[in-house]
Amino acid sequence: MDLNSFAQTVHGSALAEFMRSSLKAMPVVESIHVFCVALIFGTILIVDLRMLGYPDPKRAWTRTYRELIKVTWGAFAVAVVTGVMMFAPNAITYVGNTAFRLKILTLVVIGINMGIFHLVMQRNVGKWDKDVRAPLDVRLAGALSILLWVTVIFLARWIGFTKGYDFTVPTDVQFDFSK
Amino acid sequence: MSSIVAFAHWLQSTQFSIAIQSTLWLMPLVQAIHIVMIGIVFVSLLVICLRVLGRMRMDESIDTVWARFAPWMWTALAVMAATGLVMICGEPVREATATSFWLKMALVLVAITMVNGLRRSLSGRAGPPFSSGARFMAYALILVLVAIVFLGRFIAYDLEVWGSWT
Repeated sequence: MDLNSFAQTVHGSALAEFMRSSLKAMPVVESIHVFCVALIFGTILIVDLRMLGYPDPKRAWTRTYRELIKVTWGAFAVAVVTGVMMFAPNAITYVGNTAFRLKILTLVVIGINMGIFHLVMQRNVGKWDKDVRAPLDVRLAGALSILLWVTVIFLARWIGFTKGYDFTVPTDVQFDFSK
Repeated sequence: MSSIVAFAHWLQSTQFSIAIQSTLWLMPLVQAIHIVMIGIVFVSLLVICLRVLGRMRMDESIDTVWARFAPWMWTALAVMAATGLVMICGEPVREATATSFWLKMALVLVAITMVNGLRRSLSGRAGPPFSSGARFMAYALILVLVAIVFLGRFIAYDLEVWGSWT
């Protein structure tokens, strides 16, 4: 199955039909998505800044990481679910949208950066966890993570301005607000 | 209210507003910065509130946690106000006629008052248990912040969300 047939299947799914036919589903789902993105970025920023040595290395990185990681992953899981719900009703448009493709690509790069950090650098965490400056590769991974997440947020907003969706409300349409 | 809408119509026709509307990359950039700042403000206050509730950073005093996160929160809030102003100038009529926008602005003022109230109630206290008033304020502040994030997104869907109320 190629990308376009996949998009057409998703576009014709019951979930896509529900999202298209419900007036209130999209604003609620989008709000939850934005809320989760804010949570992900804010919690990751604290962990990444600590890797960069801010505010200081007195507090163990592992302590900061462990108390926030559950919030980050929980928010990420909800963001994926809401992201799929937003993607489904406009799947065909999204797969052809450059900003959307770049956003997915950036998320993949974030995953690779995170994977390398956990598999390589975190193994030596005992050497830089507390009271010392983290090595250059750890600081680079932290800086790259912040930069990539800001890029994801910009691309996400860019999608809204390039996917060609018409936000204007027709004046002669009668809405059924009971849906 | 009609004078505010009239002002919004005038603002929308100014060269400044037209420049914002016609610069394709500007609005997504400003909105992206706005969302990044929401993340910083929300999580900074969340950590402070969770510290008050005894759920996070219990190895540090509330003064240390406040000193670590409050400057970030206030700075990000200032940037949010600046980007928010650009967004209002870019789409003044949509903002001025949206119920969600006015509710959001009212809750932002409530949140700022609550943050100052929380700070006053915590001054001089080294750690838990904090007063029931401070704990209530922490829970309420988290709820108000979540509502602000939701209302921010609802502005684009005001008619769909509020129906005949808007």
